[in-house]
Amino acid sequence: MSVRPQSHLDFARGLAVCVAVVLAVLMLDGAAHLLMAQTPFGGPRPSGAEQPAGGFVGWLLARQSEVYRQMSSTILAAKSDGSAVWTLLSISFAYGIFHAAGPGHGKAVISSYLVANRETAWRGIVLSFASALMQSLVAVVMVGICAWLLNATAKTMCGAERVIEIASYALIAAFGVRLVWTKGGGFLRALRPPRLVPAMAVAAQHHDHGHDHDHDHHDHSHAHASVAHDHGHDHGPHDHDHGHVHDEHCGHSHGPDPSELAGPGGWRRGLSAIFAVGIRPCSGAILVLVFALLQGLFWAGVLATFVMGLGTAITVATIAVVAVSARGLAQRLSGASDGGGALFMRGVEFAAAALVLLFGVGLLLGYVAAERPTCF
Amino acid sequence: MNSALRRLLGLLLLAGSLGFGGNVAEAHPHVWITATSEVIYAPDGSMTGVRHAWTFDDMFATYALQGLQTKTKGVYSREELGPLAQTNVESLKEYNFFTFAKADGKKAKFQEPVDYYLEYSDGRLTLHFTLMLKTPVKPRELVLDVFDPEFFIDFTFADKDPVRLVGAPAACQMNFQRPNDGTANAQKLGEQNFLSGDNSNFGAMFANKIRVECP
Repeated sequence: MSVRPQSHLDFARGLAVCVAVVLAVLMLDGAAHLLMAQTPFGGPRPSGAEQPAGGFVGWLLARQSEVYRQMSSTILAAKSDGSAVWTLLSISFAYGIFHAAGPGHGKAVISSYLVANRETAWRGIVLSFASALMQSLVAVVMVGICAWLLNATAKTMCGAERVIEIASYALIAAFGVRLVWTKGGGFLRALRPPRLVPAMAVAAQHHDHGHDHDHDHHDHSHAHASVAHDHGHDHGPHDHDHGHVHDEHCGHSHGPDPSELAGPGGWRRGLSAIFAVGIRPCSGAILVLVFALLQGLFWAGVLATFVMGLGTAITVATIAVVAVSARGLAQRLSGASDGGGALFMRGVEFAAAALVLLFGVGLLLGYVAAERPTCF
Repeated sequence: MNSALRRLLGLLLLAGSLGFGGNVAEAHPHVWITATSEVIYAPDGSMTGVRHAWTFDDMFATYALQGLQTKTKGVYSREELGPLAQTNVESLKEYNFFTFAKADGKKAKFQEPVDYYLEYSDGRLTLHFTLMLKTPVKPRELVLDVFDPEFFIDFTFADKDPVRLVGAPAACQMNFQRPNDGTANAQKLGEQNFLSGDNSNFGAMFANKIRVECP
């Protein structure tokens, strides 16, 4: 639409610079996330969520519009009256919560990933916050660079938005392919004759066990959960490490609760999820940022964007916890790890992985509607 | 076991509805347009086109004007806004100009927009453009819907003179209908779509309906 074939050289150059700089910053951001991700997390699992509310969607729609419309007038008010910034922040927070509560690909991808990869609720919460933080960062960086530093036109920004959007969808699809590949293997193994399953399970756990010591401590609880297996290993070469980890980080939740088992791939795969989802900024945030910038209150816009992200994160984390709880409950109901139950759960994981892939492809091809970039 | 199963179903429903419900609540407006429209008639009494004047909300206007170089800061002449107007109408093409015409129930198609320009005054940015029908029509009942099916843009017609008929035969009666008040209806439709999974024409309930009857 706004990217025309006969576009001027200036436009192309501006767009290229914009995209290049934004991508470079995103790489750095990704690296920072990678470093941060080494931090171990753990803790009690939050309890499941409430019953679905009636009339929810329409109510959300109305609230969102209302709240969003107040933003421009509040920013204008903040020019003369500093206290209006507080109003702006509370509005942004509310908007973040409502905006994310509606269906959207970000939540869908994160939730599917959590279910597919047997992640813990805690990790779901961390992923939700990380991706929302990244989304805010991208919006701020994009407007900061394109509008503030380069004084690019809306057309250029919209072009950058579109490029990022396509990148995000492609990443989600690629991520889905990877998940399907891994989970497809697990599903196929589970489909084999039952007597083979324990042997395969032990083999898989053995692998996880080695993995633990390299990466994080959630996987540890996985190994710990299968008691018989661990006993064998206590006498093995990993004995020392095992005890060490146990003392330092596993003081909590010793029960073999299946929903506490973090899936293989660990944080690194989680990072791909954050990146794929978080790389795409929200159109609303970009509009608010540009508006604030031109009113000479860019900092207020930046604050508003991050508070918006915080609100979004809370909602997405809630949904993630619901998804993880549902998975855990399904696992318990299906009779844990033996025979048909295991098959069922591998099937669920495979389906969730396939869903991520479908979302990515659907978004790329335009079958799944997403928020459009503000190009027009 | 039964209660656990029920809880699981509840959780799945909640997760599914929140996470995978499609584009229903994703679609909430980011751009607000205050519109006035003129329905244009030829001397022979056939309807030939529509002339729109769409005023953008201040946030979108600021965004659209960002980075535009002008001779005087804060003043945008029609010439300076020319390229932006060009971009606007080209972009709008993808969305069929958010204008959907039916002559006696049959879809009528528009040509490329003509006479388009942007006007900036009193801090308001207004896009003017004219859509001519590919072939003029002379129906008994003409219906014009103006809305964004995805509801990214909220179209609200002006309070005063929202729609005018230009050169219409005297016997023609115009009836303008605003979208039913948002919330209650949105709620109902939201639930419906949600359950049926069909939200392809979600924005239709936000349609502004212009109906002209010429006996």
